Amino acid sequence: MEMLRADNITMQFGGLTAVKDFNLVLNKGEIVALIGPNGAGKTTAFNMITGVYKPTKGKIYFKGKDITYLAPHRITKLGIARTFQNIRLFKDLSVLDNVLIANHLHIKSNLFEAVTRFPRYRIEEKEMIKKSLNLLEMVGLTNVENEKSSSLPYGMQRRLEIARALATNPEVLLLDEPAAGMNPKETEDLTKFIKQIRDDFDLTIFMIEHHMQVVMGISKRIYVLDYGVTIAHGNPNEIQNNQRVIEAYLGVENNA
Amino acid sequence: MKKRNYYLTTISLIFLVIFLYFAHNYMDAYIVRILNLCAIYTILGLSMNLINGFTGLFSLGHAGFMAIGAYVTAILTLSVNSKIQNFFLEPIAAPLANVEWPFFPALLLAGVLSAIAGFLIGAPALRLKGDYLAIATLGFAEIIRVIFTNTQNITNGALGLKGIPAYTNLWWSFGIAAFTVLFMALLINSSYGRALKAIREDEIAAESMGINLFKHKVMSFTIGAFFAGIGGGLMANLLGTIDPAMFKFTLTFNILLIIVLGGMGSITGTVISAFIVTISQEALRFLDQPMDLGLFVIPGISGMRMVVFSVLLMIVVLFYRHGLMGTNEFSWDKFLNAISLKKPLSKGGKYNGNA
Amino acid sequence: MINMTWEMFLQHLANGISLGSLYALIAIGYTMVYGILRLINFAHGDIFMMATYFAFFGVFFGLPWYIAFPITIILTILLGMGVEIAAYRSLRDAPKISIMISAIGASFLIENLAIVIFGGRPKAFPTEELFTKVVYIGNISVQRLTFIIPIVTIILLVMLLYLINKTKTGMAMRAVSKDHETAKLMGVNIDRTISTTFGIGSALAAIGGIMWGLKFPQIQPLMGVMPGLKCFIAAVIGGIGNITGAVIGGFFLGVSEIMLVAIFQGLTGYRDAFAFIILILVLLFKPTGIMGEKISEKV
Repeated sequence: MEMLRADNITMQFGGLTAVKDFNLVLNKGEIVALIGPNGAGKTTAFNMITGVYKPTKGKIYFKGKDITYLAPHRITKLGIARTFQNIRLFKDLSVLDNVLIANHLHIKSNLFEAVTRFPRYRIEEKEMIKKSLNLLEMVGLTNVENEKSSSLPYGMQRRLEIARALATNPEVLLLDEPAAGMNPKETEDLTKFIKQIRDDFDLTIFMIEHHMQVVMGISKRIYVLDYGVTIAHGNPNEIQNNQRVIEAYLGVENNA
Repeated sequence: MKKRNYYLTTISLIFLVIFLYFAHNYMDAYIVRILNLCAIYTILGLSMNLINGFTGLFSLGHAGFMAIGAYVTAILTLSVNSKIQNFFLEPIAAPLANVEWPFFPALLLAGVLSAIAGFLIGAPALRLKGDYLAIATLGFAEIIRVIFTNTQNITNGALGLKGIPAYTNLWWSFGIAAFTVLFMALLINSSYGRALKAIREDEIAAESMGINLFKHKVMSFTIGAFFAGIGGGLMANLLGTIDPAMFKFTLTFNILLIIVLGGMGSITGTVISAFIVTISQEALRFLDQPMDLGLFVIPGISGMRMVVFSVLLMIVVLFYRHGLMGTNEFSWDKFLNAISLKKPLSKGGKYNGNA
Repeated sequence: MINMTWEMFLQHLANGISLGSLYALIAIGYTMVYGILRLINFAHGDIFMMATYFAFFGVFFGLPWYIAFPITIILTILLGMGVEIAAYRSLRDAPKISIMISAIGASFLIENLAIVIFGGRPKAFPTEELFTKVVYIGNISVQRLTFIIPIVTIILLVMLLYLINKTKTGMAMRAVSKDHETAKLMGVNIDRTISTTFGIGSALAAIGGIMWGLKFPQIQPLMGVMPGLKCFIAAVIGGIGNITGAVIGGFFLGVSEIMLVAIFQGLTGYRDAFAFIILILVLLFKPTGIMGEKISEKV
């Protein structure tokens, strides 16, 4: 089943074309990677899908519904969640609050019920806390729920961001460089972890990643961007042997 | 532990009520007036802190909301006779001439109309970022003041209104202040309150977590305007006289000083700071007035008091950016630890996150 | 147009243009500081007010205008740079809300110090025959100042544009306004560049203040508040960060304010609200102003 589809989406900033005619198809349950050198336009593509930027041209469909010009919060509500390249946690708030906030979009109680602690709100709040604590446990963040989120070590912050994204009940999860700054052991754990959440939450995952170990290990398909243009698309094997990709990207990476 | 705190809170509240009873019946009118102002500034500080401290919007429109609230209660509660006396240049518009409402409904309507104004200005202005919002809200407050100066047959223009019945007493002001504290605490600690804090922390992340930025900002702004309107109403019926010049930017500045000093994002900090600032405003009044030292007289220097407060604001923001409380709240545990000369009673157990 | 002769129209237009020129000079200071620090320098209107007092005391103590006015400009520059160092420099990396609060604090401090030092009562600004002499053109009577002000403004604008676009200092300013970090790596002294920006903005405010005093010869400590807000609005109308835009915005605001009151006399009382209504309309329909560029946040 086709979950997400982008048709020729293009993003121009003034005279600069950051992404040109990007096409994407994500099928249910797939893990798909987006790779490319720095500044290739990967995060811009993410920002268009999640509604942060409005594409200059092209259309984006989520389960057949046109979401091109929807506001970010509506897109999240429909079922697309994301993490950020440069971790964007609610720094001054507790770990638990960070996850609870991501539950807010599904709240049924209105403001009055919430302030007066109506029974319906109390039940909802209890459920939210339970669900959030479960998520935290699942990503391995037990016993830190009352810590300030910015006080967590880097790796934990990354996992908290994923837990927070999962709390919005997504069907498609967009991960922006989840392995950035991780050591080989952590990277290996992350690879397993991504697969596991895909299975547990019935997710479709689209991720930007530089670690080839992660990308080649779990991606079913890979898109390669260079200067905003899609230079290749295929399974890991095809990508590894693609001459253009090697020239643009892998060659450099392998020598590094 | 929890039980102890519960008792301590209850006992303090009982003491407060006894104190208010005593003050209401036996204390000097001047002191009662200052206490009233403290409570009113608590309401105003909390309402501004909701917008600026908890939601992270920089709004400078408080004087405008207060003006709406003050004028609404003043016009509604003024007796028919006082109205005739006040409006000697141009008679008051017909439908308002014969209304004379009791205090509470007038106050409520003041809050509601102020909230509606908040909604109407918030809906367009909250699409703006940071400093644009500051200027737009400041401009809104100025527009309100200009309008009130020019609508002679409704507000009596620059002449202002006199003889507003002195309904505001300690029970009203402290009662509503207590209600405001409770309301804010319940709001901030609810899912909606968390959403507001998320917006303060990082708008882009908040939006990506599905929070409707616009809806929540307007909500915060409207609630803030509601309480500011009520505060303005209480003020009008305390002072007895209002005119448009009262609602200049200086008024907003005073409230801003309260929330900056108390801590942007702290309810208890705002309460403490509202008392400190209001009392010192009165205590430092001598700076502006001539002082008679018996042998010689020091002439008062008008403006000196505001110099002190501007310097205070700058010192806080430059050197103690988090104010008294930052985003923390008062808790009995911390308080008892702080005042006990012994070592902290309990340092074990779980780290509570906001130490 | 009701009841307005050509002469009257031209008279109002001339008034509008000279008021607009004064707005423009002050607006440049706002737009430059905003461009470089993304900050509304709330104290700018008060720096303008102080300039009129400096000039007042210069002439009051018997200095001839050609000495008093340059001294005024120098003192105002020092004041502007001083405000930057005291109120903004240590908050470079602080949350924006703190910087704005500091700006408001600085503004209040200057206003109230002025009340303490100069007294709250208005003072009469010394008129200088050379500038204020009334000349007649047909049936229209105008002060020389009405012509001098726009001419001075245009000359200053041209000089400023040259400075920004053709000199090394100007290049540093443009670099800092794009990106502090990168500019620093390229060897630009950030603090000095920001100081220079404040200095230039204050110098223009000083010239504006002197001419304001000559045109409206009554000065008082709170006189900077309204012009300050209006000039910021002029900067927004023109496109914040854009100097030519600020000048256009200033002219636009000055002329339309005078014309509005001239045509609809019933609205005289609402004159001060007009600028804010324009501001809200501009922000809603064209937030980038007439000449501004879109600044988008990096995600």
